[in-house]
Amino acid sequence: MEIEKITSIIPEAEISQTGETVVKVPAEKLHQIAETLLNDKENPMDFLRDIVGMDWGEEGLGALYLLESTRTGARIILKAVTADREKALLPTVSDLWKTALIKEREVYDFFGICFLNHPDMRRIFLREDWIGYPMRKDYDMNSNPLRMDNEENADMTDEYFLRPDGTLEGRKNVVFGEDDFVVNIGPQHPSTHGVLRMRTSLDGENIRKIDPILGYIHRGIEKMNESLTYPQTLALTDRLDYLSAHQNRHALCMCIEKAAGIEVPERAQYIRTIMDELQRIDSHLLFYSCLVMDMGGLTPFFYGFREREMILDIFEETTGGRLIQNYNMIGGVQADIHPTFQQKVKDFIKHLRSVIQDYHNIFTSNVIADTRLKGVGVLSKEDAISLGCTGGTGRASGWANDVRKHHPYALYNKVDFKEIVYTEGDSFARYMVRMDEIMESCHIIEQLIDNIPEGEFRAKTKPIIKLPEGVFTSSVETSRGEFDVVLESHGDKVPYRLHYRSTGLPLVHAMDTVCRGAKIADLIAIGGTLDFVIPDIDR
Amino acid sequence: MFLDYYNLSPLLMQIHAFLCSVMPEWLALTLEGLVVGVFILVMYAVLAIILIYMERKVCAAFQCRIGPNRVGGKGGLLQVPADVLKILTKEIISLKHSDHFLYALAPFLVILASILTFSCLPWNKGGEILHMNIGIFFVLAASSIGVLGILLAGWSSNSKYTLIGAVRSGAMIISYELSIGLSVLTMVVMSGAMDIQTIVEGQANGWNIFKGHIPAIMAFIIYLIAGNAEANRGPFDLAEAEQELTAGYHTEYSGMHFGFFYLAEYLNLFITAGIATTLFLGGWMPLHIAGLDGLNMVMDYIPGFVWFIGKTFFIVFLLMWIRWTFPRLRIDQVLTLEWKYLMPLSLVVLLLMTVCKVFGLTF
Amino acid sequence: MNGFKEYLKGYVGGVKSLLVGMRTSMKVFCQKKITEQYPENRHTTLHIPERHRAMLVMPVDEEGNHHCIACGLCQMSCPNGTIRLTTEMRETEDGKKKKFLVKYEYNLGSCMFCMQCVNACPHNAIQFTNDFENAVFQKEKLVMTLNKK
Repeated sequence: MEIEKITSIIPEAEISQTGETVVKVPAEKLHQIAETLLNDKENPMDFLRDIVGMDWGEEGLGALYLLESTRTGARIILKAVTADREKALLPTVSDLWKTALIKEREVYDFFGICFLNHPDMRRIFLREDWIGYPMRKDYDMNSNPLRMDNEENADMTDEYFLRPDGTLEGRKNVVFGEDDFVVNIGPQHPSTHGVLRMRTSLDGENIRKIDPILGYIHRGIEKMNESLTYPQTLALTDRLDYLSAHQNRHALCMCIEKAAGIEVPERAQYIRTIMDELQRIDSHLLFYSCLVMDMGGLTPFFYGFREREMILDIFEETTGGRLIQNYNMIGGVQADIHPTFQQKVKDFIKHLRSVIQDYHNIFTSNVIADTRLKGVGVLSKEDAISLGCTGGTGRASGWANDVRKHHPYALYNKVDFKEIVYTEGDSFARYMVRMDEIMESCHIIEQLIDNIPEGEFRAKTKPIIKLPEGVFTSSVETSRGEFDVVLESHGDKVPYRLHYRSTGLPLVHAMDTVCRGAKIADLIAIGGTLDFVIPDIDR
Repeated sequence: MFLDYYNLSPLLMQIHAFLCSVMPEWLALTLEGLVVGVFILVMYAVLAIILIYMERKVCAAFQCRIGPNRVGGKGGLLQVPADVLKILTKEIISLKHSDHFLYALAPFLVILASILTFSCLPWNKGGEILHMNIGIFFVLAASSIGVLGILLAGWSSNSKYTLIGAVRSGAMIISYELSIGLSVLTMVVMSGAMDIQTIVEGQANGWNIFKGHIPAIMAFIIYLIAGNAEANRGPFDLAEAEQELTAGYHTEYSGMHFGFFYLAEYLNLFITAGIATTLFLGGWMPLHIAGLDGLNMVMDYIPGFVWFIGKTFFIVFLLMWIRWTFPRLRIDQVLTLEWKYLMPLSLVVLLLMTVCKVFGLTF
Repeated sequence: MNGFKEYLKGYVGGVKSLLVGMRTSMKVFCQKKITEQYPENRHTTLHIPERHRAMLVMPVDEEGNHHCIACGLCQMSCPNGTIRLTTEMRETEDGKKKKFLVKYEYNLGSCMFCMQCVNACPHNAIQFTNDFENAVFQKEKLVMTLNKK
């Protein structure tokens, strides 16, 4: 349907149907088409899932734009290519979707594609003095020595646009002015949950602007993947968002299975679903602990960890790992569940239900916590969609975006569960979404745990897995939002490009919108409720 | 007649008379002053160690943990002394762009305020160190020096975190001093004296909290909350606010300079509890229940300082319980709590107490 | 007047919620503690599941023979280059040339316990054990030779 709309505007749009449907549009028409799709009456493509930079070699540099309609759930992938490698230019879509502001910076950083009229063309993960663009296929690995000097962050940023005669012109934009009192929150800070740095401009206790500086634990996982075979790439997914380790790996396995046409046994599907939900409880318990600690309550912090430890024990018994589990495999799971698994999970859920009231007594209903969370850091539904804040953050703003409901995978269309949606959009709603999801996950597990069918836990696969050519995607709902895998295969045993949608990047980007006018203490609490994990942002 | 078993003043008088007989009076006074000074410092350090140990154990128990249990046997009794030794050996870092004099002065101001207040506590009958007829007034005045140290520490460190911490602390302590002052005033109205010893002795036939019933209990609660804020402890620890400002006003301090802030924090906790004991729970007075003379006799055999320390530690535990339960308040909430809730309430309580006193409604 | 009522209500509700919180923390105060005393419980309550991956080993039978055929699949499947095989061609009794394992080097320091090698092995010659106390003072000690007898 969308394809017809595009072809009606530009008949020359190329459509490739290997794997996912990808519509190639000319770069100069990209903005016009994007605008048409966004402003469509009955099916607006208002959620930009991701922008995936690509180096197609001969064909040129470019990007895939993954779009989704929040109303119907329809999805489409646009492809825009620029053949000029020296002066790669694409029009920005950041005026249509706010999330493009940060996603385009990522593409610029890795591929050197300059987005015209983007107000902030700075590098995002790499140092400002980095030479070259590392994700290009012709990047020289030795072009950057290990720099031990300090990185100075510029207070100015560049914007590029084309003059009517076709020449490029630059302009400087101000990030922080002379009279800004800029405080560094991070990279070494007790409550940024990792090495995140937020340059925060303050007015007394009030926040004027936040500029996140990322990349302190950037490991180049996407680049590494390009030289790893498909089974090997699995080992790195657990290390993205370590609190959604199982779900990340689930997404990649699903993508490869879809591409290779592997049927996953039902027993494995059951195990995967149960593990996903246990992982979600694990993550949300940690969320509770960290949020409470960020707000200065050190005692409830241990409550969350006490129960989380039980989940980790259950994980370890079956998968052999606590944080990094390495459990999903292409075609199934690594090992069958441990004989005590079912009983332990049932005991755990019973225990959790009995102690969860303590959590609420000591924190949720507390007057201090209430006043610090309610009405603070409000994110409107429109902003949540435009910024791409998926997961609990989006659902707290009234955006029903649960991938498990809207694009079911594994067994989620067979189990009964509610999608938790709040409409307030404040910190308290974000907190309650997660607390309610813990109970909902318990509910899902209880439906499955006694009905795991007998049979194989892993399908037989070829020793060397090669995928057909094409673009393949899969998406799962991880503990903190929609996690997408975008895989471009050229028929080899290694991926040509493997991209992960970071669940945390849009959330960090949203910090500026959410925190303006709030207090420093709120900044920390909002950061806690947005619930981002840094290794997932930096990748 | 009761309480005289453990009255220290005759003994101290004898010592003084003896010293005067062997040396000139000025020398005797100097000597006594020195001994008392050393005694205060030693008490201060020992109490700090006990309090830190207690805090670690109590906080651990609230958090389903065991707490220190390796250094010095199963109870971990030597953990804190070991930490003290460690902190003594640590380097005191001097910052390049700080105001060196104020930077070095600040921790001493904090500890000075703390020691001055500490010296006013009535340990036993005849066991007070600083005795003056406006004792409680002096306590309030001396404890206010501490905030100066905190402000100076934050300012002179030349760091944004410390500055924010110091300004927060200034705003908070100055506000909460009002409530403390008013609740102390309430009790002064009730006892009719500002001399700490007189206040304690006035409670011989029943502690103030019982004698003053409703207004006294309310003043007690107000005092505990405001005192907790005054001591910069959770949920009012936003001057340090680890999660926001890493360590607030003492971020840039190291070694024993930091140690001073740390010691002062714990001793201020003790002092807050000690003053509360003095004003509300009868100081070193034993518990007496009218009509049960046998019990009262037994109670009298327990020395006064045991009563005082016991009651004080009970309040310390109460404050720790509060600290390890609640999340931290935000700066505007802290001020709202004071100006919208505590201050009006303490004014009402003061009025109520005055009315009660005038109409003889206190026991 | 209504405002004053709200004010009082907020007052009472706030105090009540604080008391509920204090009751909860006191409840936990009196509960059993959950700390695991690690080095002490090593031989008593410490439970490390069978499947826990901590160290790669090459099991041998009574005569000290292992199953490794020096095919190198584990080396190829390792994403980190943790495993290094040294092999040599030897002539067997019936005159065929066959690869033999000389040295199986495994670098524990760079292993990320992803199970790829164990999954790749066609003869189950290697496996992970739950022997987790592997800290050493020198990095070199982490490079282990697995086929040593």
